[in-house]
Amino acid sequence: MNDIGIWITETLGTRVWRIIRIMVESFPKLLKPCLQITITLTLLSFFFGLILALILALVQVANIKGLKQFARFYVWIFRGTPLMLQLFIIFFGLPSFGINFNGYVAAVIAFSLNLAAYNSEIIRSAIQSVPIGQSEAGYMIGLNYFQVMTHIVLPQAARVAFPPLFSSLIGLTKDTSLASSITVIEMMSVAKRVAAVYYEPFWMYMEAGFIYLMICTILTKLQSYMERRLEWKQPAEEETKK
Amino acid sequence: MLGVKNIHKSFGSNQVLKGIDFEVNEGEVIAVIGSSGSGKTTLLRCMAFLEQADDGIFTFDDLSKDIRKTTKKEIKELRMKMGFVFQSFNLFRNMTALQNVMEGLTTARKIPKEEARETAMEMLQKVGMVDRADYYPDQLSGGQQQRVAIARALATKPEVILFDEPTSALDPELTGEVLEVMVKLAREGTTMVVVTHEMEFARNVADRVIFMEDGVVVEEGNAEEVLSNPKQDATKRFLRRILRKEEEE
Repeated sequence: MNDIGIWITETLGTRVWRIIRIMVESFPKLLKPCLQITITLTLLSFFFGLILALILALVQVANIKGLKQFARFYVWIFRGTPLMLQLFIIFFGLPSFGINFNGYVAAVIAFSLNLAAYNSEIIRSAIQSVPIGQSEAGYMIGLNYFQVMTHIVLPQAARVAFPPLFSSLIGLTKDTSLASSITVIEMMSVAKRVAAVYYEPFWMYMEAGFIYLMICTILTKLQSYMERRLEWKQPAEEETKK
Repeated sequence: MLGVKNIHKSFGSNQVLKGIDFEVNEGEVIAVIGSSGSGKTTLLRCMAFLEQADDGIFTFDDLSKDIRKTTKKEIKELRMKMGFVFQSFNLFRNMTALQNVMEGLTTARKIPKEEARETAMEMLQKVGMVDRADYYPDQLSGGQQQRVAIARALATKPEVILFDEPTSALDPELTGEVLEVMVKLAREGTTMVVVTHEMEFARNVADRVIFMEDGVVVEEGNAEEVLSNPKQDATKRFLRRILRKEEEE
């Protein structure tokens, strides 16, 4: 009985030590592609996706003929097809027309285009949530369309759009793992490789998951901090307290 | 000074204004009364070009024009000389009370910030809101918001201010403070067109009352006369109904 106990403790002990050692060893191996690829891929795609989304939303709100229909068509296409398929078309499909991108660039393009479709809907509905009466009040004090948009509508829409836009940023962070399917060496593909080397898939994927979770935790904290900063009530209330 | 002739406006198949003639003279306070759905708010909104009328002639000072052919530029110039106070206040929620009042001066009229601030504070003083200058609309009561909205309309020194049921969205105990401000403005000689349900205000302050029903002006004249001695049956019916409601309250 006692012997079995010792055997179990020893085996388990060795196993636990082995796993801890592997995890410590592999941590920098995972963190490097995370910082270099996953995070830059996320930020670049989000940046371009946001600019494109803003344009797509504004041409719809301003009701510009032709462009509005194009925006609706665009959203229809990019929301209606899988992100993975869009990645494949840009990376594997376009070369047959002589258009070649490396994996990283193809991923940035695909993520940006896909994200723009979703984010443009967020921005459009945020703009439309600002009561029309405020725009009318703006026109009545002599503002023009551009001034009404930049001074009144967009600042308020930004606050409404902020939480869902942040959600889409968090979603994108994890979706970048799809880039592993078009040869990009990001955190997920490294985790796959390391798992194969050590033959500890469970713990390797747990570790990668932990890093994703940490990034998203930081983003969530950042979100609630920025949301508080965006409150218009804050400054005046603080002033009155003084 | 400001007038419309033969204004028509339909929303779909619903004819809201059926040929309205209307004229405001300088320094005059006009109360537009009538039951809801009579078209009085639409009339006011057409005069501010917040609705595009289907037909009619628009006059403002020397300008007289087919209302359908007014250009964007002309509308903008007209609005520069007009103030508008909305039923739902419509303060800019991302700006403090002071910023709300300054916006028309700094952004639309390119007046230097310091000068604009001075004018804005003066206007807030006038409506008794100086101590709330740095508050955001969400932190103010309805009555306070409407007073700020009046200050915002005043700040640009308009030749005429249009009021669209300024107290209708307020709790009864808050209407007093807004009406008080409006009485003060009227006494100072501000040209005002007020769409209202406040009969007491109409009687005490308005020079002229216009009674609308079903898209036409049914009766118009001296306030005291129309309200105490209405000639038309429709006016009589309306006043009786309003009086009964006020007594019930």
